[in-house]
Amino acid sequence: MNADLTLLRLNRVLLAAAVGLLLFYFAVYAVYAVNLISFPFDYDQGEGFELVDTILFSQGEWPYRDTETFPFYSSNYPPLFHVIAAPFVWLFGPAYWYGRLLSFLSTLITAAAIAYAVHRASGHRWIAILSGLAFLASNTVYHIGPLFRQHISMVMFETLAVVVLAGVNEIPDTRRRRRLLALGLALILAAGYTKQLAAVTALAAGVFLFIRQPRRAVVWGIMAALAGVGIFVWMNWATGGEWWRQAILANVNELKILQTLALFGQWFGLHGFLIVPAALLVLYELYFARLSIYAIWFVCAVGINGAASGTWGGGDSYFATAIAATCILSGIFAARTLRGEWRFPSNYLSRLVINPTPKSPPHDMERGLPDSPLLPLSQGKGGVRLALARVGLIIIPLLYLGYGRAVLHMPTQGAVFGTLAGALNIPPNAMNGFYDSARTLDGQYATGYANIGHLVTQADIDAGWSIVARIRESEQPVISEDAGFTLMAGREAITNPTQLLNLEKKGLYDGGELVRMIDGQEFGLIILRAQFYPDVVLQAIARAYTQTETVTMNGFNYLLLRPKP
Amino acid sequence: MLSNTFTLSKRHLGLIFLFGGGLAFLAIIGVDLLDAGREGGIGPAQQVALAFSAFVALVGLSLIPLGGDPA
Repeated sequence: MNADLTLLRLNRVLLAAAVGLLLFYFAVYAVYAVNLISFPFDYDQGEGFELVDTILFSQGEWPYRDTETFPFYSSNYPPLFHVIAAPFVWLFGPAYWYGRLLSFLSTLITAAAIAYAVHRASGHRWIAILSGLAFLASNTVYHIGPLFRQHISMVMFETLAVVVLAGVNEIPDTRRRRRLLALGLALILAAGYTKQLAAVTALAAGVFLFIRQPRRAVVWGIMAALAGVGIFVWMNWATGGEWWRQAILANVNELKILQTLALFGQWFGLHGFLIVPAALLVLYELYFARLSIYAIWFVCAVGINGAASGTWGGGDSYFATAIAATCILSGIFAARTLRGEWRFPSNYLSRLVINPTPKSPPHDMERGLPDSPLLPLSQGKGGVRLALARVGLIIIPLLYLGYGRAVLHMPTQGAVFGTLAGALNIPPNAMNGFYDSARTLDGQYATGYANIGHLVTQADIDAGWSIVARIRESEQPVISEDAGFTLMAGREAITNPTQLLNLEKKGLYDGGELVRMIDGQEFGLIILRAQFYPDVVLQAIARAYTQTETVTMNGFNYLLLRPKP
Repeated sequence: MLSNTFTLSKRHLGLIFLFGGGLAFLAIIGVDLLDAGREGGIGPAQQVALAFSAFVALVGLSLIPLGGDPA
């Protein structure tokens, strides 16, 4: 009795420590979000072009355009995130803060949905809270969470859809079941029209519904497909075919298997403490219970999105959906272990693994074969389940503490974080004084991992405004690889480099008119960062322009090129 | 199958995995057999896909004995 009380107290202390650790990461995340929301320029490559899409939608125009004519701009992303942000353009003009705020709020909603799903499935409040916080503590979710990018909104819609659909087949009331089915499928459509990668969640939901009741899956699948295809055909018609060309044809990129493998390794290294229990729950459901939508979603997201992380334009963000699924499954596993709720119905595996001598009496002294210590699990006896629950009281909080150690990321500068980093001997391994466990101590990281996560400084903001000043000095149009500078200067964004490169890789880009204008030195200034333009454009720039200045902002060198004399 | 009460069993799921994984395995091998003039043999992406297909087929095989339990 005293031992149990001690275990319970220890469990509470360890759980409180785990909650405290993950709350610390939430505080780091909030600081990072506030820092980025107040930053007026591109932080992650491509944010500015998502702002351009938002501005175009606010003006009632499509961003899917012919890239062979001035201003040579097009987008490859579906519209929903930008449509949601468009009213902010009417109210506040072009700015990054509202897109970043929307993304940040999306992550909070996703975390709440994860916590709700775990609590609904297990009734364990603290594990539910830990599961939601674990999502926000992930290095991947942290660094893409508060960006003006549509990815994390897609993850929010996906998570909400899966949580809505999880128990839908068991709802006896027909009207309520139909309402939730419609809501779940509408959320999947919303995810798909936020980013194409949500196709994996549509697949998972379809497989889940088909396994549970094929007739219902076929009927509702046809209705959802009709709605999705209808929107698709309308958009393609309204954009003169550019939607298909820009967002679909140009968006299928080659796979670099080494990048995929490196990112898989990194994903497991960071999230392994939660991946293992999640995978164990998937195996349990596969062999001893019914497959849940969470298990199917996890397998699809890990397998398909994980593989796609190695494509050009992919990266660790492609694991965000899998991380959400991991948090839900590991949470349910943890709660079930703490409550001693594992049941192993009789089948060939339970007989093989749990009771290796099925035809013998419980204690087969004659054959000398001991029963498995797990036998009572399948026979409803409380002893072993209780023992496992006792072990779980220690192991489960340690899993979350281990996870908290594995995802360590924090600024190493400033009054609070600097003191803490000094006390814990945590050296910076990223720019602007930041430590990220996804990197080695000397700052190396897996190919495809986004080189962000650090805080920006006043010097970065000043550097950005100095580039804006150069643009304002020019009387001719200006090309900038980050759209934020031209937008802040009140100029039109010209070109979308990565999209031009996407098109070129698929043999869909000519570039004749843009090259002619560059050769004719019709641009007063060209600002390059990663030089993600097609070769034909970079060659033209090299012919007609020369680098006159370098401005460092946010750790990156911006090359300012002016016409050659 | 299209009745209101039908649900897939572990055996159904096992057969789908077994045939799906097996067909995928053969298709990946077939790419090299049909495209005989290509140099380089089975690349790293194909190796991963082959291993995954074989794994899916084996999981399917292990599900079949579970019979009519709902999947």
